[in-house]
Amino acid sequence: MLLQTLITGLSIGGIYALMAVGYSLVFSVLNFSNFAHGAVIMLGAYVGLALATKLNLGFGLVLAGSVAGAGIIAVLNEKLAYSSLRRRKAPSLYLMISAMGCAVFLENLVYATIGSRFYAFPEFFGRQVVTLWGSSVSLLDVGAFLFALLAILGLHLFIGRTRTGIAIRAGVCDMTMCSLMGVDLDRLIAIVFLLAGAFAGVAGVFLGIKYLVYPTMGWVTNKAYIAAVIGGLGSLPGALAGGLILGMVETFVSTYVSSVLRDVFSFTLLIAFLVWRPNGLMGIDGEDKV
Amino acid sequence: MDYLLSIVVLACINMIAVLGLSVFTGFTGLFSFGHAAFVGVGAYASSVLTYYYSVPFPLALAVGAAAAGAVSLVIGIPTLRAKLRSDYFAIAILGFGEALRVILENLDITNGARGLPGIDSFTTLPIVLLCLAVGVIVARNFLRSRWGVACVAIREDPVAAEMSGVRLFRTRLLSLVVSAVYCGLSGGLLAHFLSFIQPVMFTLIQSTQLLAAVIAGGMGSITGPLIASFVFIALPEALRVAQIWRLVAYGLLLVLIMVYRPQGLMGYSELSSLWKKRTTETTGTRP
Amino acid sequence: MTSSTGPLFSVQGLTKHFDGIRAVDSFSFDVAEGSITGIIGPNGAGKTTVFNIVTGLYRPTAGSVLFRGETITGLRPDKVVRKGIARTFQNIRLFNRRSCLDNVLTPLFQREKCSFLGSLLGTPGTRCQERNLRERAVELLEVLGLARFASTQADNLPYGFQRKLEIARALATEPSLLLLDEPAAGMNPEETRGLADLIAEVRERFKVTILLIEHHMDLVMNICSPIVVMNFGALLARGTPDEVRADPAVVAAYLGKGKGRR
Repeated sequence: MLLQTLITGLSIGGIYALMAVGYSLVFSVLNFSNFAHGAVIMLGAYVGLALATKLNLGFGLVLAGSVAGAGIIAVLNEKLAYSSLRRRKAPSLYLMISAMGCAVFLENLVYATIGSRFYAFPEFFGRQVVTLWGSSVSLLDVGAFLFALLAILGLHLFIGRTRTGIAIRAGVCDMTMCSLMGVDLDRLIAIVFLLAGAFAGVAGVFLGIKYLVYPTMGWVTNKAYIAAVIGGLGSLPGALAGGLILGMVETFVSTYVSSVLRDVFSFTLLIAFLVWRPNGLMGIDGEDKV
Repeated sequence: MDYLLSIVVLACINMIAVLGLSVFTGFTGLFSFGHAAFVGVGAYASSVLTYYYSVPFPLALAVGAAAAGAVSLVIGIPTLRAKLRSDYFAIAILGFGEALRVILENLDITNGARGLPGIDSFTTLPIVLLCLAVGVIVARNFLRSRWGVACVAIREDPVAAEMSGVRLFRTRLLSLVVSAVYCGLSGGLLAHFLSFIQPVMFTLIQSTQLLAAVIAGGMGSITGPLIASFVFIALPEALRVAQIWRLVAYGLLLVLIMVYRPQGLMGYSELSSLWKKRTTETTGTRP
Repeated sequence: MTSSTGPLFSVQGLTKHFDGIRAVDSFSFDVAEGSITGIIGPNGAGKTTVFNIVTGLYRPTAGSVLFRGETITGLRPDKVVRKGIARTFQNIRLFNRRSCLDNVLTPLFQREKCSFLGSLLGTPGTRCQERNLRERAVELLEVLGLARFASTQADNLPYGFQRKLEIARALATEPSLLLLDEPAAGMNPEETRGLADLIAEVRERFKVTILLIEHHMDLVMNICSPIVVMNFGALLARGTPDEVRADPAVVAAYLGKGKGRR
C-alpha cells in the first residue's frame, strides 16, 4: 500500500513537474509569477486535442504540435501583455496582475467559444499497466515521469552548455547588465517564453490524456504553481523536485488522511513556504538593499 | 423596475466590498487576490445565524463582518509579520482564499458545495444605501486619521514611514482587518439579497474582479473604485452581456489597464479634488 | 539637559558583514550632546551603513549602539525614532504623492494618542485634534521656509526644497539626535551655504544634536566639530576640522593634497 501510494504520487508528480518548469523558467528571468502559464497549458492541451481528433495524428505529432502551438502562444502572451511593462521596469506585481488578467481572459474565452464540455484524448496509451515491485502504474504515468525527467535534464544541459543558455543565466543575474553586454533582450526573453510554452504544451497533453481537457484545467490554483514554489521559484531542478514532492505528499494525504483535506493541505503548504522559505528548497536568494 | 432595482442593490453591495479593498490596496499599497473569501465569510456567518438561529438581521450582519475581520487575522498575522514581497503576499492570500472555499465546501453547516438556499431576503435598497453611505464616511474618516495617514505613508515609502514612527506590522494588519470587515458586511448584505449562496461565488475569480475595480478606479482614490465597481456591475446588465463574456472582458480590461493606464481612472485623486483643480487652474493660484 | 555622565550617543565596536564584505569594521565613536559632528570618508566607506544600523534598518553583526546611556542596538526603526533619533536619507525618501503638509503631519500624528472609534466617527474631539496637528505642521513648514508649498505634492517640489522637507519631517518626530545623510548632495555653493545656516538654526531652535554625513568639504569643515573619518568601514581619524585636514592618513585616503583646498 505504501509503495503504491508512493508510485502513484510520483506519477502525478511528473506531470506537476512539467507544469512547474514553465513557472520557474519565467520567474528565473523576469522575477515574476506568470499566472497565465496555466492558460497556456490548457491551450496546449486543446491544440493537441484538435490535432488528435480532427487530424487523427499519432501521439508523437500531437505532442510536437502542442509544443509548437503552446510555444507560440506563450511568446505572443509575452509580447502583448508583459513586454511594455517590462520595458518601463514595472514592479513584478504589475506583471503578475497582467498575467492574472490574461489567465481570466483566455480561460473564459475558451469557455465562451468552445464550451465547458470535457473532452477526452484518444487512447494513446491504452489502459496498459506496468508492474513495478508489486505495485501497478499506468504506462501513461511512467511515460510522463520519464519524459519529465529527460526533458528537464535536457533543459538543464541547454541552460548550462549552450550560448543561449548562458545568456539566459546572465539574464537571471542581471537583466540590465546583460543587455549592456550586447545581448538582445527581446530575443532572449522570447526564447525563454518559447521554452516555457513548449513545456506547457507537453504538460497540457499529458494532463489532458491522464484526466480530461476542459477550460479550467490549467487554472492558477492548480497545483503546478505550488510545486514550483516548493521546489523554489527560479530553479529548474527545483521544479522537478517540487513537482515530485507535491505529488507524493498530496497522494499520501489523500490516501491516509482525507481527500477533502488534500487541497487545504496543499494551500497551507504554499502559504507556509511563502512565509518561512520563499526560496523554496532550491531557489535563489535575493535581498534588498536599502 | 424591480430588475433595475436589483441591479442597483447588487452594484451598491459590490461597492462596499470594493471600498474595503480600496483601503487595503489603494491606500496601503498591498495587493490581494483573496478578498472574495472575506465576502464569503461574512455571507456564510450571517446566513448561518439568521437561518439556523433566527438572529436579528443587523446583529447577524455585524457578526458576519466581525467574523471576516477575525478570519483575516489568521492569514494576516503570519504573512505580514514575515514582510513578504508584494507578489508573494498576494499569492499567499490567494491560497488562503482558496483554502477557505474548500473548507466552506466541506462543512455540514454550510451545506457544502450545494450551497445554502432559503436565506431570508432582509436586504433592501435603503439598507444598502445606508450601509454604503456610512461606509464611505467611515472610510474617509479612517484615511484622515492617524492610522489612515500611516497607511498611505507605508504605501509611499515603508522605510521612510518607519522612520516617521509608523509601526509597519500593526498598521498593515489593521488595514487588512478593516478591509475584511467591509467585505464581510458586503457578504452579509449579498447573502440576504440573493437568498442563496454557494462557495463557488467567493473564489479567485471574484477576488480578481474586486481588485480590477480598485485598479481601474485608481489606487489612492475612494471615488474612482466606487465608480468603476458600479460600472462593472451596471454596464454589462445594461448591454445584456452574458455572464461568461463579462469575465472575458474583465480579464482583457485588467491587461489593458496594466499595460496602458495602471493608474486607472482617477489616478491618486478624488472626483472632488479634480473639480478643485479645475477651479484653481482657471484662477491661476497653483503654486 | 546636558548630561554630565557621558556622551549623548555612542557606537561601540560596530561591525556589519554582508556575505563576506565588511561594510563596517569594529567602528567606535561617540557624539557629545549639542554638537554638530561630521562623518566623512570615501564612497563605500560604510557611512550610510552605520546610519542604517543605528536607526534599526540593519542588524549589526557585532557591536552596540548606545543612546542616553541605554542600549538601543537592534531595536526596530519606529522604536528608535520614539527614543529620539531621526534621520534623513541619501536618496530622498519622501511620501511623494502626498502634500508637504501631509508629509510633516505623518510623524506628528504618530506621536499623538488618538481614539480609534472617535477617529472613525469623526467626533468633534478628533476633528479638533486633527486641526491642531495641522497647525503645528504648518508652523514647522514655516520654520523651514516651506509654508507656501504646504499643499503642493512632495515630488513636485524643486530638489533643494525636497531635502528641506525631509529635514522638516524628521524634526516633526521631536528628536534629540538628528542624522543627516548627505543633505547637501546636488546643491550648488549658494544653496550649501544656506543649508549650513539652516542646520545651525535647527540646532539652536530645536535643541537637537546633529550627526551629519557629507562629501561637501566646505560644509563639513565650516560647521562640524568634531569630524570623524571612515575608511573601509573603520575609523581612520577623529578630531577638529584642522586636525583632520592635517592628518596625513586622511589626506592620503580621502582629502588629497590639492592646491590650497580649504
